[in-house]
Amino acid sequence: MAAVFGGRFTSCFFNVCGLRSGKFVTSLSVGVHEVLQVRNYAARKGTREKARKKKKAKVEVKKVGFIPHNLRGKKAAPVITRRIDDSLKPVSPDNVWLSKFYQWPLYSFSDAVHCHRETHHPTVYNSPNEKLYVNLELNMRAAKENRYLDEFTRTISLPHPFDADKAKSVLVFCKSTELQKKALIAGATVAGDIELIKNVQNGELSLKDFNFVVAHPDILPELVLVRGLLKRKFPNQKSGTLGTDIPAMVSRFCSGIEYTAKADQYLKDFGWIFTSIGKLDMDTDHLEENFSVLLKDVYSMKPNRVGPFITKCCLVSLPSPERLKVDYNLYIDEDDNEKQEEKEEDEEEEDETGEAEVKSSVVV
Amino acid sequence: MWRQLLKPVIQLRHSDNHLLFISHQNVYQQFRTTFILKRRWPPGLVKKGRDPSTRKMRARHFIYDLVEDTNVRKKRQLEVILTDFVAGLGNRGDRLIMKQKAAYHQLLLPGLAVYASPENIEKFSLSKDDVDYKPKYSSPFVLKTISILQCTNVIVLMNKDVPWTIEPWHIRMSFRKAGIHVPDDAILLPEKPICGPNMELENKFFEVTVTINNTEKVPVKCVIHHWSTYVSDKLTPAEDFANQPQTPLFPVTASEMDSDASSNLSTDTQNMQ
Repeated sequence: MAAVFGGRFTSCFFNVCGLRSGKFVTSLSVGVHEVLQVRNYAARKGTREKARKKKKAKVEVKKVGFIPHNLRGKKAAPVITRRIDDSLKPVSPDNVWLSKFYQWPLYSFSDAVHCHRETHHPTVYNSPNEKLYVNLELNMRAAKENRYLDEFTRTISLPHPFDADKAKSVLVFCKSTELQKKALIAGATVAGDIELIKNVQNGELSLKDFNFVVAHPDILPELVLVRGLLKRKFPNQKSGTLGTDIPAMVSRFCSGIEYTAKADQYLKDFGWIFTSIGKLDMDTDHLEENFSVLLKDVYSMKPNRVGPFITKCCLVSLPSPERLKVDYNLYIDEDDNEKQEEKEEDEEEEDETGEAEVKSSVVV
Repeated sequence: MWRQLLKPVIQLRHSDNHLLFISHQNVYQQFRTTFILKRRWPPGLVKKGRDPSTRKMRARHFIYDLVEDTNVRKKRQLEVILTDFVAGLGNRGDRLIMKQKAAYHQLLLPGLAVYASPENIEKFSLSKDDVDYKPKYSSPFVLKTISILQCTNVIVLMNKDVPWTIEPWHIRMSFRKAGIHVPDDAILLPEKPICGPNMELENKFFEVTVTINNTEKVPVKCVIHHWSTYVSDKLTPAEDFANQPQTPLFPVTASEMDSDASSNLSTDTQNMQ
């Protein structure tokens, strides 16, 4: 039909049908190149980085402990505390009362020890030489909000030591031979200087055999060579392993008491200490002195913030289930008073010496 | 805020005063509330000497913002004076400060207390030094203590190997372990001394008289249980036997039973007359 009418018609018709390069293509598929815009260059600056950051953004999953089924899914988080506060409970006006309804009675240290001695009397439990344990509850909040103290382990030397557990092995580094001899007398297993450090480096001396490493400041530059091997055991002033008085430090770590302040896995502000400070058949005054030494050492780890560090102090003596609350403030306040007195003395001295000086800042 | 306009009144149906019981139907009172509002748009001033009612008020002048709902305010505490002994609160003549609702429903309506007005204070208030002060019980908490002590079985743990005789401090110590604080002088042991160790005494109870505030006396059951220091020798825990019916250490003899029964009968006949 097309061929009869003339050349122009035929060419137009074929063009409309889309006959190109010998293939029959419909009008839809003709303009593929023009309709779908395929770009051969990169995306806008910053798009890929944004996508990358989105992938990397990690959500911090907070560890939460067990929540009872009737509190799950609620918007308000359930308040769980391990700290029992009985300050809202009344104090009993009667002489016979049930401890369930009133505040825990606060005993003096000697009274509490006497109570434990009663339960361990020969006619009852018949174990008068049981160990007397102290259970301290701590508030582990640090100075900054939402920050908590880590668990710490400290060693203290008690003024009245009792039946020691296995003696701890102590390694001593100091330059003078006199100090080395004194250290060995005090109870150190090995004492030496640079040669000893070389032995450690060689591998002749294994650090695993020793619980503690004590050092004198003179030998510190040489000791730095073995810092990587010592890791946590490296002597430092804070833990008391670095100092000039070697014999005292050695005796402290050899025959001293080690205590750990543990923290709850989920309730991080709740911490506790459970150590023994003596035996029930010891003198009450000796036990009291041991107790005060422990409290002062614990208090030295106090963070610089408002609020109590030690929240509760109980005396426990197994197998009795009794936990007798003891007033610990008597043994701590003295420290605070001493610090205040020192500050006042310093201020007085300053006043005397620097009268002519103009004070720009006021020391409180 | 406007859904509730009326509230039902709680009527005292069982009191002697018939005026307090109005009708057999429920009585409703209007809610007495005050809402403090503030105009959002200040209205115009009125010319000097003119009547304020001539003030032109537009629709915008009737738009208010809520400042305070007086119903939600914290209410003051009410001071009352007791006219009778109330367990857990106080004796006759004691002055108390309580929440308004609690004071009204628990004390004022039943007639156990009066408002602490100056006249009532002179008339009803009594202190411990007064001659008229005759407390029913030495303390408002004594009744509860007595009721609990009567039901408790205190486990007295004594040694299995070392010879012992029960003394007041043994009892005091056992009470303390059970959560009851008792001083030494408030404990009265039975007349016969109890010695041991004796396996016949195991899980048998004896009665100890506890004196509260030097006045009220309560008999408390104490159950003996033997403790062995060596783990291998230990007996079953005492808690298993605490709730089971106990056998007495000093069984009551037949003659004592008869005398007790006859004395009880005499009191009953007196009451009936």
